[in-house]
Amino acid sequence: MSIHLAAEGLFKSYHKGRTEVPVLRGVDLEVERGELVAVIGSSGSGKSTLMHLLGLLDGPDAGQVFLDGRRIDNVSERNRDALRNQTFGFIFQFYHLMPELSALENVMMPHLIRQSLFGYFKNRTRLRAEAAHLLKRVGLGHRLDHKPNELSGGELQRAAIARALCGGPDIVLADEPTGNLDAETGQSILELLRDLNRERGLTMMMVTHDPLIAAQADRIVRLVEGRIEEWSPALA
Amino acid sequence: MYKYLLCWRYLRTRYIALASVVSVMLGVATLIVVNSVMAGFSEKMRDRLHGVLADVVVGSWDLNGFYDHEEVMARIKQVVGDQVEAMAPTMETVGFMEIKAGGQGTITRSVQVHGIRPLERAKTGDFAEFLVNDKLTDKGEYERIPPSFEVSQELKKLSSPAGSLLMEEAVDPAMKAILEEQMNEDVPDFGAIVGFALSTSHFEGSDHFMIKPGSRIRLTFAAAGSKITPAYDSYTTVGFFKSGMSEYDSTHVYIPLERMQYMRNLGDGKGHGAVNQIQIKAKPGADLDELAAKVQLTLDRMRPQYFRVQTWEHMQGSLLAAVAVEQSILNILLFFIIAVAGFGILAIFFMIVVEKTRDIGILKALGASTSGVRGIFLGYGLLLGIVGSGVGMIGGLLFVRYINVIEGGLSKLTGRKVFDDSIYYFSEIPTLVQPWTVVWIVGGALFIAVTASVWPAQRAAKLHPVRALRFE
Repeated sequence: MSIHLAAEGLFKSYHKGRTEVPVLRGVDLEVERGELVAVIGSSGSGKSTLMHLLGLLDGPDAGQVFLDGRRIDNVSERNRDALRNQTFGFIFQFYHLMPELSALENVMMPHLIRQSLFGYFKNRTRLRAEAAHLLKRVGLGHRLDHKPNELSGGELQRAAIARALCGGPDIVLADEPTGNLDAETGQSILELLRDLNRERGLTMMMVTHDPLIAAQADRIVRLVEGRIEEWSPALA
Repeated sequence: MYKYLLCWRYLRTRYIALASVVSVMLGVATLIVVNSVMAGFSEKMRDRLHGVLADVVVGSWDLNGFYDHEEVMARIKQVVGDQVEAMAPTMETVGFMEIKAGGQGTITRSVQVHGIRPLERAKTGDFAEFLVNDKLTDKGEYERIPPSFEVSQELKKLSSPAGSLLMEEAVDPAMKAILEEQMNEDVPDFGAIVGFALSTSHFEGSDHFMIKPGSRIRLTFAAAGSKITPAYDSYTTVGFFKSGMSEYDSTHVYIPLERMQYMRNLGDGKGHGAVNQIQIKAKPGADLDELAAKVQLTLDRMRPQYFRVQTWEHMQGSLLAAVAVEQSILNILLFFIIAVAGFGILAIFFMIVVEKTRDIGILKALGASTSGVRGIFLGYGLLLGIVGSGVGMIGGLLFVRYINVIEGGLSKLTGRKVFDDSIYYFSEIPTLVQPWTVVWIVGGALFIAVTASVWPAQRAAKLHPVRALRFE
C-alpha cells in the first residue's frame, strides 16, 4: 500500500480579536490509498480544520501536506483550484447544495466548474449521463430534477455524496456527513460511503462525533487539543 | 459554464434584484423619451427658424441701408456664385402698427416691418409656405395663399361699405364712379402680410381674428432725413404670416419693398431705392460658415466695416445654444437617476452576496476560481443591466412612438390639455429618435449596472472558503 495523503507538522491557529487561538499544534498523519479513516475528537479539537488543510480549503501556518509524496500546500492558486476540483471531493454536514439548481445540476457542478461554455455544450450528454448515473448509484434515480427544498435530509446528503464523486476524484473528505441525520439514515449514509470506498478504491477521510460510525472505519484517528493522540485499528 | 448557469438562475429566482432593475428601466425610458422629445422640438424649431431666415443674411450697420445692392449682389455672385441659389434685397426696420379693433378704439403694437419683393423673398427660404388666410381647410389648417401683396378688386369690395354697395346689381353708372372712388379711399392699394399672432387671439381652443383679410392697418416707421421723422402709411391686410415661431409671428409685418423705400425717403417707389439686407439662399450642401466668411471678406474690400454677414444659425445662436445647454443639463440630471439605480443594485448585490456566502464557499470548495466567482456577480450585474435597459429602451421607444395617443388619453383623463398646441404651435408633440443617443443611454446604463456590481463581486470573490462555509 502506498501513502496517498500525508500531513507533516501541521500548525494552524485562528485569531479571535487580539488573542491567538491555536487549533492544530503539529499534526502528523499518513493515509494510505483506499483507506477509510475516521477522525474523532471533541468540539474544537481541530477536526474540521485538519480536513480543510488536507483539502486545500485553507493553508497551514506551518507544516506541509503531501499528495502521493508531492507537496501540495504551497501550489499556485490555479493549481489549488484544480486539485479541489479534480482530486478532492467534499461532503459537508449541512449538505450545502445550491438551492437554485436541481439535484442533477448540483451533482454536475464539478464538471460545470471545469468546463467552459463551449466544452460543456460539446460534452453535455456525457456529463449529464455521468451525473444521472451517480444519482442512481446513491439511490436518487427518481429525483434528478428536484430542487434541494424538495428533498429530505438523507436524500440531500446522498445528492451531496454524488456531487463529491462527480468528476472522478481520488480522495473524499467528509466533514460530519451523518452529523445532521438520525441514526438510521446516518447508518445508511455511512454504508453508502463504505460501499463506494470499496467499489471505487477511494481514499476517504471522515470527521465524526459518533463512535458507532467511527467504529466502522478502517482506522480511527483521535484529535485532542490539536494533536493526534491515539491511533487505533478500528477493526482490531 | 457554472457562471452563466448561476447568473441565469439568480436572475430568474431573485425577484428583489429585479426591483432594483426597475429604476434602471425607468431611468433609461425617461432619458430616451426626454431626449427624443427635446430633439424633436429643437429639430422642428431649427426647421422653422431656418424657414423664416435665409441661409445667410448680409446686413448693413446703417438702418437706412445702401443703394448699390445690385452691385453688392453682383460681387457676391462673382465670389460665391456657384454656391448661391437665390438672393433677395430686403429692408427691415422697427415700427408701430395701429389697428381699429371693435369697441376698443385703436390698438397700437410695436412690430418689425419687412419691406420685401414677395416672389424674390420666397425664393430665398420657406417664406411662401407660411402665408395663410383666415379660412380653415378640412384638415384644420389655414388655407395657403400665394406670395403677393396684390389687393384684389374682390377684397376691396368686400372690405368697404362703398364696395359692398358696388356689388349690388343695377348700380347707376354715375353712382358707380363715386362709389369706386370712395372704395379706393377706404381701402389702401398696398397690401400687407401681418404676423398671425399679431392678428389673432387664441381663446378656448380657436383663433379669433382681430385683423381680417381686407382690414386696414396703419404703420409708422422712421423715415430717413437730417432728423428722424415718422412716416405714416396705411395698408390692406391680404394675408397672415404663420411660421410657428411665436417670436416671428407676433412681430413681423411684410409690406412691398418699393413702397417702404418711398415712404422712408429712401427710394423713388419705382425700384430704385435703398435696402438694408440681402437674403442669400445657398445651394444644398454648401458650407454656410465658409460662404459667409467669403462674402464678408469680399464686401469688406468693397466698403470696410459696413456690412455684417451672418448665417441663420449665427443669428439665432443664443436660442439654439440655450436649447443645447438645456438638453445637456437635463441629460446630466437624468443620468443621476440611473446612478441612483446603480446604488440600488450595489445595495441589493451586497445583500445577495451575504445571502449566498455559503454557496460561494461551496463553489470554491468545488474548485471555482476567484475570478470565476467574481464573474458570476459581474455577469449577474450585466444581465440585470441588460434586462433593465432593454425593457427601458423598448418602453421608452414605445412611449415616444405613441406619445400623442398617450397625451390625448391623459388630457381626457385629467380634463386639461397636457400639451397646449396654442403655446407651441405644433399640432402634436414632435419627436426625433436619434439612434446614437439611444446607444449612449443604454451603454451608460449597462456601464453603471456593471460598475455597481464590481464591489460586491469583488467581495464575493475574496471570500475565504472556510469562513464562507462556516457562515451562518
